[in-house]
Amino acid sequence: MKNLMKIAMLSTALLSVGAVQAQETVVWWDFLAGGDGVRMKSLIERFNEEHAGEITIQPTTLEWGTPFYTKVQTSAAIGEGPDVMTYHLSRVPLGVESGALAPLSTEDLSSVGLTADAFQAANWEAGQSDGQQYAVPFDIHSIILYYNKDKLAEAGLLGEDGKPTGLDGAENFMAALEKLKGGSQYSVSLQTSGDGTPWRVFYSLFGQQDGVFLAEDGTFFPEDSIPKAVAAVETMASWVEGGYAPQLTEYEGSVALFTNGDAALHINGVWEVPTLVDLEAKGELGFEWGAVALPTFFDHPATWADSHAFAIPNNAGKEMTPEKKAAVLEVISWMNENSLSWADAGHIPAFNATRESEEFKTMEPNATYSILAETAVFDPKSTLAGVASPVYDAVANYISPAMNGEMEPQEAIEEMKADLQDQAE
Amino acid sequence: MIRNQRREWAVAFLLVLPFLLTYGVLFVWPTIQMVQLSFTDAPLIGTGEWVGFENYIEMFDDRRFWTAFNNTAYFVVLTVIPNTLIGLAIAMMVSRLKGWQQSLILAMFFLPYILPVSVVYRIWNWMFNVQFGILQYPISFFAGETINVFRTQWMFMPAVALVTIWWTCGFNILLFLAGLRSISPDIYEAAALDNANRWTIFRKITWPLIWPVTALVLTIQLILQLKIFDQVYLFVQGGRPDPSMVMVQYIYTMAFQRNQGGYAAAIAVALFVIVIVFSVLQFQLLRARGEK
Repeated sequence: MKNLMKIAMLSTALLSVGAVQAQETVVWWDFLAGGDGVRMKSLIERFNEEHAGEITIQPTTLEWGTPFYTKVQTSAAIGEGPDVMTYHLSRVPLGVESGALAPLSTEDLSSVGLTADAFQAANWEAGQSDGQQYAVPFDIHSIILYYNKDKLAEAGLLGEDGKPTGLDGAENFMAALEKLKGGSQYSVSLQTSGDGTPWRVFYSLFGQQDGVFLAEDGTFFPEDSIPKAVAAVETMASWVEGGYAPQLTEYEGSVALFTNGDAALHINGVWEVPTLVDLEAKGELGFEWGAVALPTFFDHPATWADSHAFAIPNNAGKEMTPEKKAAVLEVISWMNENSLSWADAGHIPAFNATRESEEFKTMEPNATYSILAETAVFDPKSTLAGVASPVYDAVANYISPAMNGEMEPQEAIEEMKADLQDQAE
Repeated sequence: MIRNQRREWAVAFLLVLPFLLTYGVLFVWPTIQMVQLSFTDAPLIGTGEWVGFENYIEMFDDRRFWTAFNNTAYFVVLTVIPNTLIGLAIAMMVSRLKGWQQSLILAMFFLPYILPVSVVYRIWNWMFNVQFGILQYPISFFAGETINVFRTQWMFMPAVALVTIWWTCGFNILLFLAGLRSISPDIYEAAALDNANRWTIFRKITWPLIWPVTALVLTIQLILQLKIFDQVYLFVQGGRPDPSMVMVQYIYTMAFQRNQGGYAAAIAVALFVIVIVFSVLQFQLLRARGEK
C-alpha cells in the first residue's frame, strides 16, 4: 500500500514536471473518416510519440463536407475553432470570403521549411487569396477507375500487361460496359445521388473537352461550353439509363457494390484505395483488384482534382500564443515531411521531396495513376465553388437528377447556369 | 379589513418579475435584435452595415425563397388537416375502449411521439430503403418496381408528411381524448333515447362539442408545421436540397452555411409574420365558426 502511494506521488510529480516544460496541445479537426482516416490516425500517433513531452495533437474527426464546413464556419466566428484543421484547397476562396481562415505569414511558414518551391506552383498558389497564403497543401487527390480483375478477364478486357484495355472513348467504354453486363449486377458502380462523385466525374468529362466552367468575365458555362457540359451529362446518364450503373445510389452503397463483387468497375476517389488494401489483407475481398487513371471519354485525358490542405481557423477574439503557433507550424511541416505514409492512403503527396522520392515512385497502385498529377483539372477558383459550396449543391440539384433521367441534360445545364449566375450577383 | 392596494400590486409584480425578466431577455430582446439584424448585411456573427429594406427586396426576387415558401405551404396542406382528422378518428375509437385496453392502445399510439426525430428518420429511412426496406414489398406489388421514395421528387413531401403524421399524431389523440371525456354522457343518453343514429350523434353532438379542441389542435398544428425543418433536413441528405427546401431550412442554409446573417434574419422575420398572421387568422375564424 505504501509503495502504491509512492508510485502515485512519483507519477504525479513527473507529470507536473512535464507540464512545467510547457507541453503544447494542438486541437486538430479533420474530415477523414474513410480508409484514409485510419492512415491519418497512425500518422498522428507517430507525431505524438516523436514529440512526447513537447506537442500533443488532440484529434477529432468530423463528418466530411457540409457538416464539417458548417461547424468550422460557426465555431471560428465565436473563437471556438480548433488550432489546426484539414481544408480543401478548392474551398479556400469561399473560406476566405466568409472569414473562416486565418492568414499565414511567409516568415512563419518558411521558418519550418514550408516555402513555395517545396510544392508545385499551382498547388501552392491554390492556397492563396489575393497573394496572401491561407492554406498549406498536403496532397493532390483525384478520381480513378477501380476494377475487378477476375470480371474484366472474363469479359476479355484485360491486356497482356494485366491492365484494362479498350476503355478509352465514350463508345468503347459503353461497349465494355455491355460486355461486363452479364458478369455481375452492375457493370460500373458509382455514387449517383447528391454531390461528390457526380461533380468529380462531370468535371473530368467536361475538362476532357476543354469546357469552361467559369469564364473570366464571371459567366458560368459560356455559350460554347454548354454543349460540352450537356455531352458530359449525357454520357453519365447513359450508364444509368442502360442499367449499367445503379440508379440513385449513395456513396457508401456504391463502394459496397464494388467490394461485394456486385460491380466490375468502380469510379471513386483515390482515398478508397486503403479500404481495398485493408479488405484484401484481411482476405475479405474475394477477388483481385486494380486501379487505373480515369479513361479518356472525349478529346484528351483530364481528371478532376482537389487537394487536402492544412489551415488555421480565424478564431474571433482569440489570439494564438507564439508557442502555440510554433507547435501548429511544426505539425503542418512534420505532416508534409512524412507524407509518404499519406500516399499509402492513395493520395499523391503535395510535398515535392516526398513525391519525387524513389519510395513513392515505386508505390502501387499510386504509380499507375500518378499521371493524374499532370492531367488534373482543379475546381474553378470562385467563392461559389469548392467542397460544400453552391456549386456542389447545384450538382445535387441538377446534374444528379439528369444522371438518373429525372431531367433532360440540356435543361439541367441551363438551370444550373441560371441558378449559379443568380447566386453570383 | 383594509386592503393595501399598492402593496398587493408590489407583491404581484415581484411574483411575476422572474417571468417578465426571462421572457424579456430570452424572447422579446432577441426578437427585436432579429428585426434589427434583418436590415443589415451582417454575417452570421458580428455586426454589419445598415442596408434598409434591401434584404426584403432581394427576398422577393429570390427564387429559392419562393420555392421554400411554396414547399412550406404544401407541407402545411399535407399535414395540418389530415393529422387533425386522423387524431380525432383514432381518439373516438380509443374512447370506446375501457380500462387497461384503452391504456394499452393509447400508449401504443402515443409511443412514436416520444421518439427523437433522428430515430424517426432512421426507422423510416430503413423501412423505405430501396434495397432492403420492408415497405418495398407493397411498393413493388403496386408499382411493379422498387422505388427510392425519398429521392423521387414528387413523392418526397407526401412521404415526409406521412412520417410526420405517424410521429406526431399521438399528441393530438391525447388532446381529443380529453375533449371527448369532457362531453357529458347524459347528452349521448338523451340522443339515444331520441333514436338518433351514430352519424347524427357525431354530427350534432360530438363534432360541435369537440370543436374548441379541434380549433386548438388545428392551430397548434399550423404553427408547428409552418416551422418544419428537422424531417426535411434529414431525409433530403444525399439528395436534391433545393426542390424540397422549406423556410426554416433556408434560414439555416443562409445563416450557417452561407454566412449571411442579415438576409437569413429577413427570411426569419417573414416567417415570423406569416406564422402570426395565419395562426391569429385561423384561430379567429375557427372560433367564429364555433360560436355560430
